[in-house]
Amino acid sequence: MGKELLSTILILLPFVSAILIYLIRLSALRSLIVLVTGGVLIACSLLLIPYAPFTWSPHALLGIPLHGIVQVADFALLLIILYFGYKHRNLIIQVLSVLQIITMVYLEFFMVKGPISTDISYCDNLSLMMVLVASIVGSLICFQAIPYMKAHEHHLHLEKSKQHQFFFVMILFLGAMNGVVLANDMTFFYFFFELTTLCSFLLIAHDATEIATKNAVRALWMNSLGGAAFAIAIVFIYYDLGHLDMQQVIRTGPVAGLYVFPVALLVFSAFTKSAQFPFQSWLLGAMVAPTPVSALLHSSTMVKVGVYFALRLAPAIQLNFLSQTVAVFGAFSFLAAAALAVGQSNGKKVLAYSTISNLGLIFACAGINTPEAITAGMLLIMFHAVVKALLFLCVGAIEQNIASRDIEDMRGLYAHMPLTALITVMGVIMMIMPPFGVLLSKWMAIEAAARNIYAIIMIGLGGAITVMYWARWAGSLMSDPYAGRQFLLKFAREKQAALTWFVLLGLCVGAGVMSVAVPWLYSFLVVPALGGAYVPPFTVRQGILESSFGSFPVVPLCIVAAFGFLISIWALKKAMRARTVAPYLSGIQTDDPGVFKGPMNQPVKAWARNYYLQTIFGEERLTTWVNLCAGVLLTLMVGGVL
Amino acid sequence: MNDYVLVAAGVLAGPVIGGLVSGADRIITARVQARVGPPLFQPFYDVAKLLGKEAVVVNVWQAFCAYAYLAASVMAVVLFFLRSDLLLIFFTQAVGALFLVGGALTSTSPYSQIGAHRELLQILSYEPLLVFVIVGIYLETHSFKIADILKWPEPLLLKLPFLFVVLGYALTIKLRKSPFDLSTCHHAHQELVKGLLTDYSGPFLALVEIAHWFDVVFLLCLCALFWATSWAGMAILLIVTYLLEIVIDNVTARLTWRWMLGYVWAMGLALSLVNLIWLYAAR
Repeated sequence: MGKELLSTILILLPFVSAILIYLIRLSALRSLIVLVTGGVLIACSLLLIPYAPFTWSPHALLGIPLHGIVQVADFALLLIILYFGYKHRNLIIQVLSVLQIITMVYLEFFMVKGPISTDISYCDNLSLMMVLVASIVGSLICFQAIPYMKAHEHHLHLEKSKQHQFFFVMILFLGAMNGVVLANDMTFFYFFFELTTLCSFLLIAHDATEIATKNAVRALWMNSLGGAAFAIAIVFIYYDLGHLDMQQVIRTGPVAGLYVFPVALLVFSAFTKSAQFPFQSWLLGAMVAPTPVSALLHSSTMVKVGVYFALRLAPAIQLNFLSQTVAVFGAFSFLAAAALAVGQSNGKKVLAYSTISNLGLIFACAGINTPEAITAGMLLIMFHAVVKALLFLCVGAIEQNIASRDIEDMRGLYAHMPLTALITVMGVIMMIMPPFGVLLSKWMAIEAAARNIYAIIMIGLGGAITVMYWARWAGSLMSDPYAGRQFLLKFAREKQAALTWFVLLGLCVGAGVMSVAVPWLYSFLVVPALGGAYVPPFTVRQGILESSFGSFPVVPLCIVAAFGFLISIWALKKAMRARTVAPYLSGIQTDDPGVFKGPMNQPVKAWARNYYLQTIFGEERLTTWVNLCAGVLLTLMVGGVL
Repeated sequence: MNDYVLVAAGVLAGPVIGGLVSGADRIITARVQARVGPPLFQPFYDVAKLLGKEAVVVNVWQAFCAYAYLAASVMAVVLFFLRSDLLLIFFTQAVGALFLVGGALTSTSPYSQIGAHRELLQILSYEPLLVFVIVGIYLETHSFKIADILKWPEPLLLKLPFLFVVLGYALTIKLRKSPFDLSTCHHAHQELVKGLLTDYSGPFLALVEIAHWFDVVFLLCLCALFWATSWAGMAILLIVTYLLEIVIDNVTARLTWRWMLGYVWAMGLALSLVNLIWLYAAR
């Protein structure tokens, strides 16, 4: 199959399937379409691997000029957003969408003469990586959404199923995502960029509760702000350079005087899309939606557009003031979001802040802009996508079982849902421990950031805070006296849909296998993506990544870690035969492990909650200051280049 | 030197040096307090006795965590002896520290739980400091690899004096010395019993103790890097540092986690910044 056909399928199939899903209201058929679409997307994304890098300029679709189609679709999209602005009486959305319409009319009808770009589509290994992430992780999330939404609607006692709407948007989102990362013409990029905004609005609003609508509207206006910044930026760029070919724009570099300002605006739009401070509230609000939506927004789509775009633009801002500020801003985001996560006992909120934090680190990598940093950023996008999707889906599965997303309510979950609890713990471990990919990327990021004093101080502090909130959660899940004695029996008792098990285990095993495969991912995926702009920083020998100042023996470490794991498992099996006692309570034990016999023979319940350190890390305490600092940094970034 | 010899040296160094340091520590501490103290080999006798006890668990995953803690700590020391990447070694020992906390969290006893959370706060306090120390070493020697750091012609202490003090804070916390022995220590706590270690017992407690020896060796190795140009300098630096730790342990009282976090971060950050800016300026 040719690259053209594959790219067409990757972008257009989701649109076609989405429409089919919307029209065919049969649940079995809908599930089948979702499964087939996901399967085809996964296959096509894998088949695309040997073709990268390539450029592609389709000029017509079914005989209609492609540029015209996107133009019409773009205005239709902006009008839909404007409609939602009126419907929800939100002045900001109205103003921003009108502004975007005017800007685009000005650009398309008064400025543009002749072709806008040489290549409409460009796919190097960075795009390819994003296509793989969106298609594989995104599809898996859609698969898990099938059993999830069934239970979700059952729980809500809906008279009329809204699943056709839900899956319409979910599948459409994957197409928009593939579109945005494969686009090279910036008007095309802009169209898909706005489409992801609209899709996330629709998904957050899906449950149609008051809070869902409110949060969706907030997401829409914040992302419209990014959209408006993008629209203005491309007008400037066209004015300066006379074309909107992204690759050429990046290659031109910051030579023209006015040129840096629009790039700063583009980075700004990337920040809004990736929910960086002070725009974090839209992503935090997004958790009111069904959990597969959160999983999709946080891991493989939406927020990843922003960081992808920042890495894409990085070569253009090398050795530039803008690059410096992006590094500091990203590191600040990493630290601040981690601090806010410590104060949360709401599991989904912890995940949300952790996403913002990791995205901040990726931005910091883009800003530090050395070959090591860019490598770290790319690996982090990939690993974060897989592990975060896993953790969100775990929380979704847990929430449907215990009707709570609070970490305190998940205490001792291992007793009721042993396998899900273990998979969640595994997810946490893959977030914070070597030899797994997320930590490897962090290691790389820290070594790359060491020469930037502002960035390294904040990343050093943020990294320690990150460990705290993850370890606490994993420990709580396993906090269960007497647990595990007959854990094989318990495993058999835990019931989940087969598709859920498939997706959870698939993501978990996938992240593990990818971690071992980092040297090869680096050689075959990352090195070609670095292209001419960066010198490949690492050499790979016997599975060891080595740079001039650091080394990470990936494969040897994995082997030793696996060995340590097996010994520990052997110890676990042996301990199952050991005598089990109640936890020490400093009193006479009773049959209940949490109760001891106190004064006057009265039973006394002994319990402890996790430390959430609200007085230091509480949202009320930090948010205002964090937003203020982020505002100052953003002003510095956009204003500083003028 | 042959890699296998280095691996073997690393695996042996933990129990031998760690145990001896622990024994010497107990004798000196006793003398400071006008006691005679136990024999030098007492820590070994203790561990041997614990290993021979019946395995008793609250939650079987404690066994898993104890073994994982030991595995990670051994790995960190072995990587150090193989002169690998310092930052990677730091992350490896962090794995051990987290499994120790994880094991305590699997019990529902409030003593274990609060001990575990205090331990997390201790980790939160010292981890950034260790990162800054490692970054400082990198800025001076241009490498994170111990193989390159050892080749540096002059003692790092001359250029990184403040960072050595910062390392001292981390060392005090890691060695479970006052005023930072919040989560557990060698004496019973009146309010937390044995804190973090309350529900570890018998052979599992022995493993935790051995892993702690490995941690001590790792930290002493890290200190030794500051005067790696001569064996005599290294020995003097280590002995002085450790004696200072014992003095601090004996003249200070245990304080609260709020104080620890505030004080260690403020002092550690300030001292690190001074030293790092110095290094940046010198570049």
